[in-house]
Amino acid sequence: MAISIAESLHIGLSDITTRKVRSIATIFGIILGVISILVVLAIINGMNASTLTWMEQRGGTSKVDVQRNWNYDFSKGGEANLSLAEVEQIRKMIPEAVAFNSQVSLYSHNELKYRGLSYYSTVSGVLPDYLQVENWGVSEGRFITDLDVHESSNVIVLGSSAARDLIGTNDVVGKKISLGNNVLEVIGILDEKSWDNKQSGSFGGNMLEYMNQQSFIPISTAINRFDNTMKVSSLQVTAQSPNQALTLQKKLDQILLNLKQGREIFRVSSAQEGIMQMQANARIFSMVFVLISAISLLVAGIVIMNIMLASVKERTREIGVRIAVGARRIDIFIQFMIQTVLITTLGGVLGIGLGLLILDNISAYLEMEMIVDFRIMFSSVLVSVVVGLVFGIMPALRAGNLDPVDALRED
Amino acid sequence: MEIIRTEALIKDYELGKVKVRALDGIDISINSGEFVAIMGPSGSGKSTLMHIIGCLDSPTAGEYYLDSVLVSKMSKSALAGVRNSKIGFVFQSFNLLPHLNILKNVELPMMYGGLSASKRKVRAQEILEGVGLADRLKHKPGELSGGERQRVAISRAIANNPSILLADEPTGNLDSQAGGDILEIFDRLHKEGNTIIMVTHDPIVAERAQRIIRIKDGLIDNGDLDS
Repeated sequence: MAISIAESLHIGLSDITTRKVRSIATIFGIILGVISILVVLAIINGMNASTLTWMEQRGGTSKVDVQRNWNYDFSKGGEANLSLAEVEQIRKMIPEAVAFNSQVSLYSHNELKYRGLSYYSTVSGVLPDYLQVENWGVSEGRFITDLDVHESSNVIVLGSSAARDLIGTNDVVGKKISLGNNVLEVIGILDEKSWDNKQSGSFGGNMLEYMNQQSFIPISTAINRFDNTMKVSSLQVTAQSPNQALTLQKKLDQILLNLKQGREIFRVSSAQEGIMQMQANARIFSMVFVLISAISLLVAGIVIMNIMLASVKERTREIGVRIAVGARRIDIFIQFMIQTVLITTLGGVLGIGLGLLILDNISAYLEMEMIVDFRIMFSSVLVSVVVGLVFGIMPALRAGNLDPVDALRED
Repeated sequence: MEIIRTEALIKDYELGKVKVRALDGIDISINSGEFVAIMGPSGSGKSTLMHIIGCLDSPTAGEYYLDSVLVSKMSKSALAGVRNSKIGFVFQSFNLLPHLNILKNVELPMMYGGLSASKRKVRAQEILEGVGLADRLKHKPGELSGGERQRVAISRAIANNPSILLADEPTGNLDSQAGGDILEIFDRLHKEGNTIIMVTHDPIVAERAQRIIRIKDGLIDNGDLDS
């Protein structure tokens, strides 16, 4: 007749509590190992989450960007821009895109004027889809519409900082401002973009503030009313899904190469590609640290194994007695296995508690985002259970294989 | 009714390259309800015989029937079951678990027998009251005198109502007063119908038994006719 797991657990627990000092000494290594795992995973988690927020703010994970390739040597010929006809051609070739924007930049006109005040802003000519490809929204008024593009309307949408600094915070929509020789009506204000990398000093603060200082007019207005030699310098496209984005990226790359006679004038990038790069980096980072944690857990495991072996030796007579009154080998084996696993699991739980405490303090000190979720805590406990199972086998086997006659003779 | 029968029991030990024969063909027969003493000088093989009778060890050759069941060929885990339900051990050095209170010590065989926690507690209490330790249930063995400890050990031995009680020098570590008390308990258990096999080298202790089996050089000295 086997004894129940509950019974074995009870024996294991009382063994641990009667040998408190030894149990604490045994646990120590595991606690350190679990703390290091917890901290590393939390840092990686925090980095990933932070980068994902950045991606979201920059247009979401389905975005594909076409920009000038700054590595291209223009002495080989070609121009880093697209005509409106070429843009239209590209647009027709990618009907699967859910949003499409082409953009021109008014480098020559960047001084917005309102009642004697001026504000320097990067002004771009865009299509209505710009709002969607950038994952952006308007906080007041409206964005550029197809009608605005069709009629080359004299309208402008301001970034939140541009609006605040030039006009103020009340009744901005409807105001008339001048840009170059044109008077434009403010039709909307964009939401504020914000991404704090939690770093102090010159790298700190809102990394996306430059976007809030931008302003946007219809692309047709830019070309027809400001500079009719202007050509499209960048495209932004939104795919149906992050996975589709990779396909779309390859397709666009091919289209642009064909369009530019095989010259790599444009660089096509996708948010998804960036995320994969980030994940690859995180993987290397985590592998290095998981390896270090694994080594510390290995050492902890060996320490535990030795202490348990000593414990078996010390308790030989007890084991003999248990066998004499009817314990089977498996009962003894389970008793010692459970004891080891209980100790390591307890170490895991304590490690998580201490780890959380440490994270609380160092994340404030390093001003870094660290995220501990249930998954991390679960895997930390799982790892400590596994360490107990692996390193508990030898001592438990030795205990279970004791010869009762010898064991009872032991002093 | 015959409860123990051995036929030509042989036990060899390997000590390095030398083979030592501890038992050299032992035939014994013990009936249910008997009180038997096994005597012999040290090295005679009486401990080996006790280990085999107690199912802690298996013979090299020969057969051993306990309760008409051939146990000499049983697997180790089956032997654990036999030890648990049919055999109660009383050792010279008590062999109580020092970290458990005496109630838990007495519960131990019942736990391995699969009895529920509440039932075994009641039973253990009952037995300990029977040997006059009702007020010591929560004490650890270290807090008791030798005689009291041996009473706990006897309580543990009879917890599962075994077929035989095996006592190995049960009074060896006790003064004559405490030893006398322990022998009284064995007498009482015998009168209640228990089968008792006691290993001893003390003739005064052996006199309590109905029959003495003498072992010498791995053989029965003067047969089971001695009484």
